[in-house]
Parts: sequence; C-alpha cells; structure tokens
Amino acid sequence: MGALSFLKESIFADEYAARKGFLQSLDPRIKTATFFLFIILILFIKDIFTLLCLYVFCLFLTKRSDISLGFFLKRTWIFIPLFSLFIAIPALFSVFTPGEALAGFNLMGVKLVITYQGVFSAALFVIRVITSVSFVVLLSITTRHFELLRVLRIFKVPQVFVMTTGMCYRYIYLFVEIVENTYVAIKSRTGTKIHYKKGQHIVAWNIAYLWMRSYRLNEEVYSAMLSRGYRGDPVTFNEFRAGIKDWFWLLFSAAVFVVLFYFNLQIKN
Amino acid sequence: MSNSIFDAKNVNFAYLGKYSALRNVDINIERGQKISVIGANGSGKSTLLHMLDGLIFPDEGTVKAFGRELAEDAFNDEDFSKDFRKKVGLVFQNPDIQLFCPTVREDIFFGPLQLGMEKKEIKKRFEELITILGLGNLLERAPHQLSIGEKRKVAIASTLIIEPEVLILDEPTAGLDPLTTRHIIDLLVQENASGRTIITSTHDLHIVEEISDIVYVFSQEKKIVKAGHPGVILQDAALLHVNNLTHIHAHSHNGKIHIHPHSH
Ligand SMILES: Nc1ncnc2c1ncn2[C@@H]1O[C@H](COP(=O)(O)OP(=O)(O)O)[C@@H](O)[C@H]1O
Ligand SMILES: [Mg+2]
Repeated sequence: MGALSFLKESIFADEYAARKGFLQSLDPRIKTATFFLFIILILFIKDIFTLLCLYVFCLFLTKRSDISLGFFLKRTWIFIPLFSLFIAIPALFSVFTPGEALAGFNLMGVKLVITYQGVFSAALFVIRVITSVSFVVLLSITTRHFELLRVLRIFKVPQVFVMTTGMCYRYIYLFVEIVENTYVAIKSRTGTKIHYKKGQHIVAWNIAYLWMRSYRLNEEVYSAMLSRGYRGDPVTFNEFRAGIKDWFWLLFSAAVFVVLFYFNLQIKN
Repeated sequence: MSNSIFDAKNVNFAYLGKYSALRNVDINIERGQKISVIGANGSGKSTLLHMLDGLIFPDEGTVKAFGRELAEDAFNDEDFSKDFRKKVGLVFQNPDIQLFCPTVREDIFFGPLQLGMEKKEIKKRFEELITILGLGNLLERAPHQLSIGEKRKVAIASTLIIEPEVLILDEPTAGLDPLTTRHIIDLLVQENASGRTIITSTHDLHIVEEISDIVYVFSQEKKIVKAGHPGVILQDAALLHVNNLTHIHAHSHNGKIHIHPHSH
C-alpha cells in the first residue's frame, strides 16, 4: 500500500510543475534541449571539481524553482545505491582498479586493498551519476508530463509512440487505482489478516483480472477514439511560445557547454 | 428528403459470436426527436448505442443512418466516415474510457482536431462550452483526477464541441448528485430545443419524462419489449417491475420506516 501511494505520488504529482519558479517559466522545448546539453557535458567531463560545480548549479536551479532541497536530495540520492552497488563499489578495490594502497583488510581470507585510484574513480562515478540524475529529475519534476510528451513529438519522436506513451501513463494510473481498490475491498471483507496462501491466490487472480481489464480497456478506448473521428494519425495543437528569457537561457547554457567542453579537452592534454 | 436518421431492422448482435447482446431489435429515430432507452444492467443498451455510433455492426439485420447502411466498409470510405463522425457524437458510459488525453483541455480539443475543423472555430466553441459547463478551472487538470460529475461534464463537452446533429448519451447521470443531474438534463433539453436529436440510455426513471418523446424498454433477454410515450410507459408498473426498473424506496411515516416499490 505504502509502495503504491509512493509510486502514484512520484509519477503522477504535477504539483511541482505547477509552481511559479524559474524552470517552470521556461519554454519546455528550450528547457529540454538545454538539459540535454548539460547531461552530455556531464558524461564527458572527467574533472571532479567541474562536476561538483555543475551539481551545485543544479541545486541552485532547484532552489530557484521553488522546490525544497530536502525533497530534491531525497528524490535523487535514492538512485545512487542502485548504481553504485553494481559499479562503484567493485571499482574501489585493487582487483578492479590497480594502484597505491590506501587501506587494506581481510574479508573471509581474501585480502582486499582499497586504492587511491579506486577511491578517485568511485568518487568521480558517484558525482557523475548524482549530477546527471539530478538534472533529469529536475527536468521531469518542473515540466508537466504532457508537455514533455509534446516536446518529444517536436523532436521528431513518432507521434504514435508519444501518444501511446501518454496513454500508458494515463492507464497505469487507472490500474494502480484498481489494485488499490481491490486491496481495500479485500481488506474490508477479510480483515487485515489474509492467510498467506489465500493472499497469493488473490494476487494471482488480480493480475489475471488486470490483463483482461487492460485488453478490454484497450479495445474500448480505441472505439472511443474512433467515435471522435480518429483515423490512425492523431492531430494536435502545438502551442509553445519562447520569450526573451528563454533565448537568454539557451545562450547561457550553450556558452557553459562550449567553455566547459573546451576546458575539459585542455585538461586531458 | 426523409426525416429518418436511424432505421434499424431486425438487428441481432453477439459479442465474440457467442455472448448475445441484442435480439431482433427494430428502432426508427427521426430528426429532432428525444429518444430514451431504458433497461436493467446488461440488457443491451450500450450495445445498441455503440451500434448507432457505427462502432460495432449487426450480425443479422441492418442499421441505416441518414439513408446509408452502416457497415465496416462504409467506414473505410474517408468522406463518409468523417461526415458521420461529425454528425453523430457518443458520450460513453464510462468517462474513464472516453477521456484518454493527458489534460481536460486536450481531451475537449481531440474530436474537432481529428475531424479537421477550423482552429479558430474550435476555440470559439471551446470557450462557449467551458462557460456553459463551468469547466474553466479544470482545463489543465488530468481527467483521471476529477470527480465523477466533473468527468461526465468533460466527456459531454468533448462530444458537444463537435456540434453533432445527433447526440447519443450512455447513462449520462449515473452516479451523479441531484443538482449535477439537473444541470445535465437542462443542457440536454436545451440542445434538443435547438434542433439536435438526443438519444439517451438510462435506468433512472426520474429523468425519463423530460428526455423522451419515445421510450424504448429493453428486457433482460436483450429485446425491446415495449416502445411508447413516456406517460404510458411510466404508468405501466407491471412492465417496469418485470424488467427490474422499479426502484424500491424507503419512506418514513410517523417514525416508522417502511419500504415499497415506487415508479415515477
Ligand atoms: N465486450 C464485451 N464482451 C462480451 N460481452 C459483452 C461485452 N460488452 C457487453 N457484453 C454483454 O452484452 C450484454 C449487453 O451489455 P450492455 O449492452 O453493456 O448492457 P447495458 O448497457 O444495458 O448494461 C450483457 O450481457 C454483457 O455481459
Ligand atoms: Mg451500459
């Protein structure tokens, strides 16, 4: 239940996108394009300090967009353990990243040595992941999801794909609600204690039921579209407007991109 | 020119070829009429309305609309299809099915955009409808976050914006409070007065009188068992009772509650 409401809240909250902060006021097309630039930059830069600067800049943007830092940090650092478990931690050790020993210990008879180089590359990795994840999350919470979908359309992602994604999104919500309601219904009929075996049975039944529902739903939604004149190629309004602020922001981001990219090349040589 | 809009003759239909949903249905609807279809759950009301909207086609018998037979290949003809979709609008029973766009605004715009209507014209109608239905502050909301009454209003708006000659509504007042029901009925009566043909399915007998010149009664056997003026049908207690349309009302007299069947 808790997991469900968390899912619902984190995917479907439009609350932050509706606030009147800096990023919310930008044209979604330009915002998406510039964030794309930042992410490319992050993937190329090998200098921890520069990455840190970008991260701080991202947090600054968060603050300027009326989003509480506590909330944002929680939302983004959640991803770190996922990535690092598989990549960063093994890299710490000499087996994977040979170099000078920083510390060593025995684990079940295997001697493990943490190297300076290992620490450095792990840190680089973590900062890179957190910075790029932060930019992605920031974009997605300051832009209404339907605007993001429209942007995809403008960047030539096929309409059918965009439309389908939009509808999936819409119907996932419906499904979450169905599951939630079923769960509540079961609880109210059987009390909180459901016998383990029985519980399993209910879950299996529920999934089968969902499949059937989704099949029916699909057909019915399609007929609802036909009824209103859909003929296989959705027609939509595009009503974005870019103002002076947007162009300044684009210019600024492009400048940051060029400067840092050049700077990064210098470091390498 | 004939005034007939729909003419169904001896129509039979079964879902997947085995779940019978319409049996020997005959129906004739003329321009400007108010028609209602009443019947218990599962009696075939929605099936009939979907058929009139050209979404499913008879297994046996024929349905003609504006003089032309409705069949799958008729809708492969783009001109016919577009013309028909402009003339006939269906408000689905389940607004969650009908409203599939990310925002209320986009949902209302969907129909006219598909039908290639003039954008300026669309916007003008849009503003009018928003005012009539009081949807002004819901436009950027996601349809799934709305209350049932709001959803129904949006669904009606998304169909009315096409300005169809024939407006078909599948249980438009189910689950609504009396005030919202009133609002919707008033709107339907008004649309009819301005010349639109209105076809409504319902099992809410309170509203039948106002929205019908002719009432069709469906039985559990998916047949039309009676058609007639609302005054006559609504007086026929036995008919309503047999077809599960009588509602049971609880009344309290002098502090004692007693329950009796009640048909208006
Ligand atoms: N998609 C479907 N597949 C199979 N059977 C269906 C489907 N839709 C409706 N039915 C069946 O067709 C009959 C008529 O249903 P319907 O037209 O929805 O009735 P009503 O709208 O009066 O409640 C019912 O017996 C129902 O179970
Ligand atoms: Mg129905």
